[in-house]
Amino acid sequence: MGKLKKITTLMAICLICLGLTGCYDAIEIDEEVYTLAIGVDKGVNNVIRVTFQYATYKEDSGGGMGGGDEESGEVSGTIVSTVEAASLLEAINIMNSAVNRQVSLMHAKMLVLSEDFAREGVGKYIEPLTRFREVRELMRIVVCKGKAQDFIKENKALIGSNPSKALELMFEQSKNSGYFPDVIFADFYVDLLTPYGQPVAAYAGVNDFKQLDEGSENEEPPLKTEADIEPGDIPRTGGAKREIFGLVVFDGDRMVGTLSQYETRFFLMGIGEFQRGFFTFIDENEPELIYVIEVQLGRKPSISARMENEVPVIGLKLKLDIDIISIQSRRHYENLDNIDEFESKLQAYFEQGIKDTIKKTQEEYNADIFHFGKKVAGNFKTIQELEDYNWIGHYQEAEINVSVSVDARRSGFIYGATPIRSTESKKGVEADQ
Amino acid sequence: MIKEGHFGFMEAFSVMAIVLVTKIFYGSPMALIKYLGTAAWYGTLISLVGALVFFTLLYLLMKRFPQEDLFQIFETVTGKIIGKALILTFGVFLIYKAGINLREFTAVLKVYSMPFTPPSMIMLPFLIVVAVMAYVGLEGIVRVAHIFFYLVFGALVLIILLAIPSYDFNYLQPILGYGLGKTVQTGLIRVAAYDEIVLLAIIIRSLQGLQVFKKIGYLTLILGGLTFSVCLICILAAFQYTVGGEHLSGMYQLSRAIYFTRFFQRIESIFLFVWVISSVITVSFIFYISLNAYSRVFNISNHRPLILPFIFLTFMAAFIPNNFAEIMEIHLRVLREFSSVIFIFIPVMVLGLALLRGKKGVETSGKA
Repeated sequence: MGKLKKITTLMAICLICLGLTGCYDAIEIDEEVYTLAIGVDKGVNNVIRVTFQYATYKEDSGGGMGGGDEESGEVSGTIVSTVEAASLLEAINIMNSAVNRQVSLMHAKMLVLSEDFAREGVGKYIEPLTRFREVRELMRIVVCKGKAQDFIKENKALIGSNPSKALELMFEQSKNSGYFPDVIFADFYVDLLTPYGQPVAAYAGVNDFKQLDEGSENEEPPLKTEADIEPGDIPRTGGAKREIFGLVVFDGDRMVGTLSQYETRFFLMGIGEFQRGFFTFIDENEPELIYVIEVQLGRKPSISARMENEVPVIGLKLKLDIDIISIQSRRHYENLDNIDEFESKLQAYFEQGIKDTIKKTQEEYNADIFHFGKKVAGNFKTIQELEDYNWIGHYQEAEINVSVSVDARRSGFIYGATPIRSTESKKGVEADQ
Repeated sequence: MIKEGHFGFMEAFSVMAIVLVTKIFYGSPMALIKYLGTAAWYGTLISLVGALVFFTLLYLLMKRFPQEDLFQIFETVTGKIIGKALILTFGVFLIYKAGINLREFTAVLKVYSMPFTPPSMIMLPFLIVVAVMAYVGLEGIVRVAHIFFYLVFGALVLIILLAIPSYDFNYLQPILGYGLGKTVQTGLIRVAAYDEIVLLAIIIRSLQGLQVFKKIGYLTLILGGLTFSVCLICILAAFQYTVGGEHLSGMYQLSRAIYFTRFFQRIESIFLFVWVISSVITVSFIFYISLNAYSRVFNISNHRPLILPFIFLTFMAAFIPNNFAEIMEIHLRVLREFSSVIFIFIPVMVLGLALLRGKKGVETSGKA
């Protein structure tokens, strides 16, 4: 055998052997069943009740979209199964005895914790997931009012046939409204251990569609531009019953409170993760009318921190870009004559909103969910000094100054709206002037 | 003596760079962040400075004996018997190093990617590749390293860049970590993390002269140090010192955190590819040098019959640790903190002895 032949043979053996190593871990896609959502509730006969929602690989499950077979747990292209066990991961093994495929968490998109559990402390349920090879760092964390099991049962993909895509897109909506944070598992875990701040999770609930009052026909509806609504209480009907609205504040691994959808927006602005959202204001010149703006962050917030007589003094500077979306009165707030006053009103509103939100996290929860601690840390030379000081315990003592600058950049398709003409048009012309 | 062939600057630079940098894929960042916290990124730069000082001493030694490689210098300076004992010490330690590196690779691969494959089934194919590379010889190993150098570093840069949205550099504070004293002390102890540079002095006769040796040494150390430092900054900025000190493979975790819209995620497979290639090259190179050491001691001119027994020894060494705790807390500490006793102390001692005894090698011009 020639030298070259020998080498080639040896190399071929190597390549074959390399392929063999995969055999033990090789698994066909349809040998596994992929969990999309995991729900954790308190058990009755054992400590933990885990709900799995997994894909069925069918275009349309037995119950059809939105429907489902109550007994088999079929919910729009998925199956929802619940099991009680001593631990979350053992629940998977128990599930395997009933499901004819290996339950995998590799494509899990959402972890839902019931509020009861969250208030007791979630650390012990998060810990096994952080070690487990199958869990994706990008899985979202949600705390739900009521049972996680009920929430997952209502997690239906009514638009499109891909439940996995539907779940991912659901969290993408955080970017469009800012009504809830998009918190991934990796960040949540880091925030549980960090000395710089405290974690948050999205707040969710199930809407029973009974929030829309019929009222009486003659009654004039009140104009409410800022109604704090909890998840599950949004006045709406139709679509999926599950909804995410607001956020949950943690102190360590225990839930200590919530922020409403508007406070959540101010929080997201404060941490620089607010993408865009509409805000409705009562027009002071015509209080029965409103104007709507779309807000985006002009740039990442600037945070500074210094210690004055052992009291942390924090400065938060924000720059917001405003697009005027609607002015019902058709007044020319976008004009150079009016724009400064318009901007200063908005500036005062956002400044106050962010201040109030920070104050709430300081006074009610003493939880630095804004992670101002990462700037405060710069005032300490060593980790020991920082940990001895215990910033998260001193958060409520901090003096936090907020400064917002607002730029009304655009006014939609219209600039200098023409008043609506009618037999009473003089009024409109006056308003214009 | 084994014929090792000649190769150019880039080949030698590539193999040394890969050997130095492979550690970043495993538990090194975790250990460093655990010891130094937020100061880990410059703690490794302190180690780099120490390694540069050591390399300068090594260069002085090699310059004193311009026609000889490190093993020959050992014999010239300390005499045949002690010299051979020193070479044998290097050889035994290198086999141990190859085995532990292989075991670390296997253990981490099992955790992240192949949980059900028996360790031996991961190790055996790996060792077959190592055997083939050793069979082909040093020239083959360095040329393979050169080919994959761009891929390994390219993928590393790609992962670091794609993970940018995860970074918040405020998490590098407090700047002094667990204290400057501890950082300097640990930094100096962990000069051992760069001590593989001594292997360059063993293959010096395959290089194109002392100046090339000097250039490769300094450049690979600087590249390795900067790579370590940048990777540590990225891990700290993404996971903070708390979680960064927990992850078995900080770089792998970083690759798992990459997410650009729903369509661009789960790219850690790139990382696995790089991880395997750089580990194969590193273990092959170390394995080959240990074969070389043994052949030198017993005047064996053909190393190939030794490959299988040495593969077996490496396989055995890989099974010395009982569990992951032993790998991390005993064997990797020996390799990354105390290996300097062999790789740094012995050459420096030999340099001191050469100076004391006034021993010098034969100059190129022929003068003694």
